[in-house]
Amino acid sequence: MDALLDVRDLAVHYRTAAGPVRAVDGASFTVPAAGIVGLVGESGCGKSTLGRALMGVLPRSASIAAGQAVFEGRDLVTLSPAERRKLLWRRLAFVPQTAMNALDPVQRLAAQMQEVLVERGGLSRAAAGARAVELFAMVGLDAGRLRDWPHQFSGGMRQRASIALALALNPALLIADEPVTALDVIVQRQILDVMRDLQSRLGLAMILVTHDVAVVAYACDRVVVMYAGRVVESGPVRAVLEAPLHPYTMGLMNAFPDLERAGGELVPIEGAPPSLLNPPTGCRFAARCPFAVARCEKDPALLEQAPDHHVACWRAAEAPALRPLASEAATWSR
Amino acid sequence: MVPLIAANDLVKAFPASRSLRDMARGHRPVLRAVNGVSLAVAAGRALGIVGESGCGKTTTARLLLRLEEATSGTVLFEGQNVSALHGAALLPFRSRVQLVFQNPFDALNPRFTIRRSLTEPLRNFGLPAAQWEAMIREAMARVRLDPAEAYLDRHPHELSGGQLQRVVLARALVTHPRAIIADEPVSMLDVSVRAGVLNVLRRARDELQLAAIYISHDLALIRYVCEEVAVMYLGRIVESGPTAEVIAGAAHPYTRALVAAVPVPRVDQDRGDLPIIGGLPDQRNQPSGCAFRDRCPLAFARCAEEAPPLRAIAPGRHAACHLA
Repeated sequence: MDALLDVRDLAVHYRTAAGPVRAVDGASFTVPAAGIVGLVGESGCGKSTLGRALMGVLPRSASIAAGQAVFEGRDLVTLSPAERRKLLWRRLAFVPQTAMNALDPVQRLAAQMQEVLVERGGLSRAAAGARAVELFAMVGLDAGRLRDWPHQFSGGMRQRASIALALALNPALLIADEPVTALDVIVQRQILDVMRDLQSRLGLAMILVTHDVAVVAYACDRVVVMYAGRVVESGPVRAVLEAPLHPYTMGLMNAFPDLERAGGELVPIEGAPPSLLNPPTGCRFAARCPFAVARCEKDPALLEQAPDHHVACWRAAEAPALRPLASEAATWSR
Repeated sequence: MVPLIAANDLVKAFPASRSLRDMARGHRPVLRAVNGVSLAVAAGRALGIVGESGCGKTTTARLLLRLEEATSGTVLFEGQNVSALHGAALLPFRSRVQLVFQNPFDALNPRFTIRRSLTEPLRNFGLPAAQWEAMIREAMARVRLDPAEAYLDRHPHELSGGQLQRVVLARALVTHPRAIIADEPVSMLDVSVRAGVLNVLRRARDELQLAAIYISHDLALIRYVCEEVAVMYLGRIVESGPTAEVIAGAAHPYTRALVAAVPVPRVDQDRGDLPIIGGLPDQRNQPSGCAFRDRCPLAFARCAEEAPPLRAIAPGRHAACHLA
């Protein structure tokens, strides 16, 4: 099956006075058509930078150092700005991290919709008006609210409006950066339900950049786990979350508070991720990994350990035996 | 059991924005951010206050800390009414009830060393200088920042988020408080380090027999650190009781919606619809009767006529619902 987006060995570096920071250091993954892929990891793992690189909205100090990202047969990395502009909105759209940033605070929602639909999409004003009503309905907003200003919207409504805006010209792929992070749990659920509904009704593919494995478990079909600029594990959500092969994924699952799981103690991962200015050689998780062995001084490649389930760990074959150990706090404390 | 810290019928009304019509009629609308909250926490116990943004949980914490003047109602600490205390009379209370800040990245002065940040409260509360070093080391050991020398002379930017939050906790503990109030203590931290900070908080509470109050929007997290929970909606407690019982058998429809919405990292989830309608209403235009009724899937005629009081429904459990 052909992927809608195929990211290969993508590297993004930030220029700093102290040298390049390798925020994304050789990331590879695919997004199938009409699939929702969760890009999950903790602060500084490179997930947001990766999302922004795909959208071509990197800050000035950052640049793509290597790799490719083939979207519908074209490499996003080598596109000219004019070619990229043709793709944006129409094939590829972005929902930025805070919904307020996606909306212009001094324009009514209707005017913002018009701008995209008329200027970018070439619709007539009347057609644009009808389309705006349709888009608002799609995300569960009342058409009457089109006349409102962004500040009159609650956080959840703003997020719905920025999703509606991103969908204006029928893109094939939506990249959403932490779409529910600042929202209350009930609103979070409602927004994720909107996104799932859009996927099934429109056949829309999505990349959800998130730090929250629960968001991935609820809304995504596939997951890409990042750590310190690298992809450490990827595959179907069920395989990765229920039977993780990488010790970092195991740790992440055990550290997450669950409403029902028995046992009183949460299991922390001691330590902190390495600096990406001078990343350590070998496996980047080794310094925090309770299962690290001598081999981990060499870099493990991202390999297909099980069908469609990739992992970068020397001990991946032993994962079934390591999983029960990883659920005990004593394993991680030293 | 004698509560260490308690609140009786706390109300906090803020002046709300006035429309032209309000001004013409001389109306001064108020927004009751906290509307009759009572609670009690004994030494060695932890109470979690959960609810969505705007439910009044943070204002409740600020009232308990006397950072905000209550419109009415009282705060009791060790049996004494502290609501009427001001100025110097409040100082002993301030050193005994400490706040753990939400965001460790801006809770510490970036120009201060960790030692100086920990010394400030000791100086402010007039503790003898000869004891400072010992008290600082005790607090650092309590939050498992060992050895203390490795951290005390560093600045905040040299520490990770998890380490900073432990320093913030150490600063709260350094004056030997009897109660701590933590407002979203780990929401700014990565999941992998959250667990470590929560475990430190829980151990400190057990070892020092502190009364602890956690404010959070996350019921799953509250479950790990609090035996008791109070659920707030639009300024009122709508349900309270032992955390495990409330999660397993919520009596109030709002609590049921919260439980259903809590994100869990499991693939097989009940993907049924949330048992709640729409979003939070404008607090100034609350419906008559039960404040939750326009979002409640079970609302019936009586809910519009009569606000349900918070009443006992089982030993240790309370709910404000006609159907509970």
